[in-house]
Amino acid sequence: MSNNAYSSDQVQLVVFKLGKEEYGISILQVQEIKRMTDITRVPHTPDYIKGVINLRGSVLPVVDLKKRLNMNAGEYNDNTRIIIVKIEEIFIGMIVDAVSEVLTLPVNNIEPAQTVVGGVSATYLYGVGKLDNRLIILLNLEALAGLGQETRAG
Amino acid sequence: MEINQYMGMFLEESREHLQTLNRCLLELETQPDNLSVLDEIFRSAHTIKGMSATMGFTTVAELTHEMENILDMLRKAQIKADHIIIDVLFKCVDTLEQLVECITNNQECSEDIRPLVSTLQALASGQAGFEAAATLAAVAEDSPVQSMLALDEVDTKIIYTAQNQGMQAYEVIVSLKEGCLLKSARAYMVMRTLEELGEVIKSVPPVEDLERENFDLKFQVVLISDREPDKIRDAVMSISEVEKTDILPYAKITLDKKPRLGIAESKPKLTAEPPKENIEHSAVQSALADKKIKSGQSVRVDIERLDTLLNLVGELVINKTRLEQIGLTHRLNDLAETIELMDRITTDLQAVVMKVRMVPVGQVFNRFPRMVRDLSRDLKKEVNLIIQGEETELDRTVIDELGDPLVHLLRNAIDHGIETPAERQAKGKNPVGEIKLIARHEGNNVIILVEDDGRGINPDVIKRKAVDKQLITQAEADKMDSSEVVNLLFLPGFSTAETITDVSGRGVGMDAVKTKIEALGGMVDIETKINEGSKFKIRLPLTLAIIQALLVKVHAEIYAIPLSSIDSTINITPADIKTIQNQEVILLRGQIIPIIRLAEKLGVPQIPNDTHEELFVVIVHMGSQRAGIIVDTLIGQQEIVIKSLGKLLAGIKVIAGATILGNGQVALILDVGSIIQ
Repeated sequence: MSNNAYSSDQVQLVVFKLGKEEYGISILQVQEIKRMTDITRVPHTPDYIKGVINLRGSVLPVVDLKKRLNMNAGEYNDNTRIIIVKIEEIFIGMIVDAVSEVLTLPVNNIEPAQTVVGGVSATYLYGVGKLDNRLIILLNLEALAGLGQETRAG
Repeated sequence: MEINQYMGMFLEESREHLQTLNRCLLELETQPDNLSVLDEIFRSAHTIKGMSATMGFTTVAELTHEMENILDMLRKAQIKADHIIIDVLFKCVDTLEQLVECITNNQECSEDIRPLVSTLQALASGQAGFEAAATLAAVAEDSPVQSMLALDEVDTKIIYTAQNQGMQAYEVIVSLKEGCLLKSARAYMVMRTLEELGEVIKSVPPVEDLERENFDLKFQVVLISDREPDKIRDAVMSISEVEKTDILPYAKITLDKKPRLGIAESKPKLTAEPPKENIEHSAVQSALADKKIKSGQSVRVDIERLDTLLNLVGELVINKTRLEQIGLTHRLNDLAETIELMDRITTDLQAVVMKVRMVPVGQVFNRFPRMVRDLSRDLKKEVNLIIQGEETELDRTVIDELGDPLVHLLRNAIDHGIETPAERQAKGKNPVGEIKLIARHEGNNVIILVEDDGRGINPDVIKRKAVDKQLITQAEADKMDSSEVVNLLFLPGFSTAETITDVSGRGVGMDAVKTKIEALGGMVDIETKINEGSKFKIRLPLTLAIIQALLVKVHAEIYAIPLSSIDSTINITPADIKTIQNQEVILLRGQIIPIIRLAEKLGVPQIPNDTHEELFVVIVHMGSQRAGIIVDTLIGQQEIVIKSLGKLLAGIKVIAGATILGNGQVALILDVGSIIQ
């Protein structure tokens, strides 16, 4: 599993919130950030797939990231955003509670995922970034994209 | 890398030219004396040769080059386009097609062109009666020394050009003195001297051999020079140890002397147009022709770009709708007018973009005359293929998929449909069978007919076969009427051919045809009469990208049902619903139709206080199956652009795709087939 997105000396991260935790993904994987919009439910899909949206003429799936990571999903509010990411040529929207900032993190400050104990299954994690007093959980989007198989099975 | 950029263009154009070759060769076969057809063939071959040489595909270039030789001779009426030659040329085209295919797939090509090349060469020389060695034999007849030089085409052309520029070509035969010690040095000096006087275009033995002293005392050189022969002789003779120098001027070349042809034997001086002029002439002609074609031709665009364009137009339409809504809320007259104008423009734009994706069905039809010719020959039948309506346009995506099913149908028509000439004569028919391939518009559909005047399909035979193959029972067979029987042809594993040929009759054909056409959103019908022939009617939607659909609402959700699978819509009350073995059904004009509650099937979340006194039922069909789908309301009929749900959501059974509505919302398109099952 190559993870080019985190491979240079330092990475730029888009930092967002899920509940009280801060998460980050490489800015290179982020296509755009949208406000919450109408989502069309798609029947016979796992519950973390909220449905599909229209992004300038193309239809793309939206995943509720909190449900995907088995966290308690809350209500959507004004801060709720959809981050459009590109994973292996597929565009996916991810619903997050809020997008806070873009920051630069030296790669040395990233701890590999195995040493962390947390609520989120380690498969979906790339590591944890430390910056000042904050801990930013870095997600492994490629692993998250593996959800395609599960969908088909279900 | 840079070459790659032209690769696509090369491949496309090669294919186009190969198709032209095929078409023209067929024409040539029927009218061997048609010079304009020959010219077109020549041009196509020439273009392929040029392109492939530029791209570095030497095999292709080599083969086309040999073809050109033959074609050139045909053009000059030096040989006749008999069936042997035409067959060989067809074979060349086939080989070229394979070569191009290999290039497309980026494979090493195993195709060996050598046998073909030698056949071509044999044709060129064999028919020619005598060999190119005597070529040009510009040797003035009164010349005391016989030329030993054989000039190839290139040399001849150079000489010809030189002569046209007022220069002379000489054959210089140099003999060195017996006992000459440094033959190679002498030869070198001779060559240098000659090169100062003019241009040496050839020497026998070749320069390398001269340098290695790999020659006897004599060598020959072909020299182009504007000097007098005597001057040249003096210059050469001034070199020591040269015994003798003979200078033979080449006669003014009239290349017809290049005696490739039988006729030339008896009349070696036969005058044909000088080739140079001929070449120029044809170059001009082909340039003209190219121009003519190009003015009616098109720009090649990647279909993906068109899709992007279509998407953008779709976006535009959606945003226009939003503007309209704003205009309505704020009641601005100026805005309303502008929007109206914009509305017209976007509608036109959408139509144009859709049109751009359309290609004439001729693109598929073009390859059939050749196929029919080959097949009917193999099967010893005489078939006349009539193509009509090749200008009928279909969406590119449909066109690409259409080839295989049509091949199947045509093969069936030739193999099973058309009888042998003897049989036809016995029936009092024209011994030449007729197959019609017709395309035409019919409403929002395109109809493609494959019609033969052969023996037709005998329903009794089909019944018997079907029973034999245990596809149906005897009892079932007895109940069937003839149209039902004919439809048995489409059952998987059915084949009526008495003997299985490699052409058809493996029992996969019709089944595959039906599947393919249905996958394209079309239908196949058969009409047949014994001894009068059969007619296969394919009905296809104009495009796959845009379909007519009925939008329906289920609670808060909107779904689109393709109109092509809708029979009708009716209103019922809950009381009309009966149950048979726990299956809800309704009675429609005496027919029992199972019903499906869409809300339940799709798990649509209930909205409180959302009850309907009246139920709308959309009666849909897929094949012979019918069902009623219960929805809350009917929104209306609309043209929708089909979008895929993408990889992540692929494989959801009941949904065929998605579309974007006027307000920017996404609506899902139902897959009627899987909902019914």
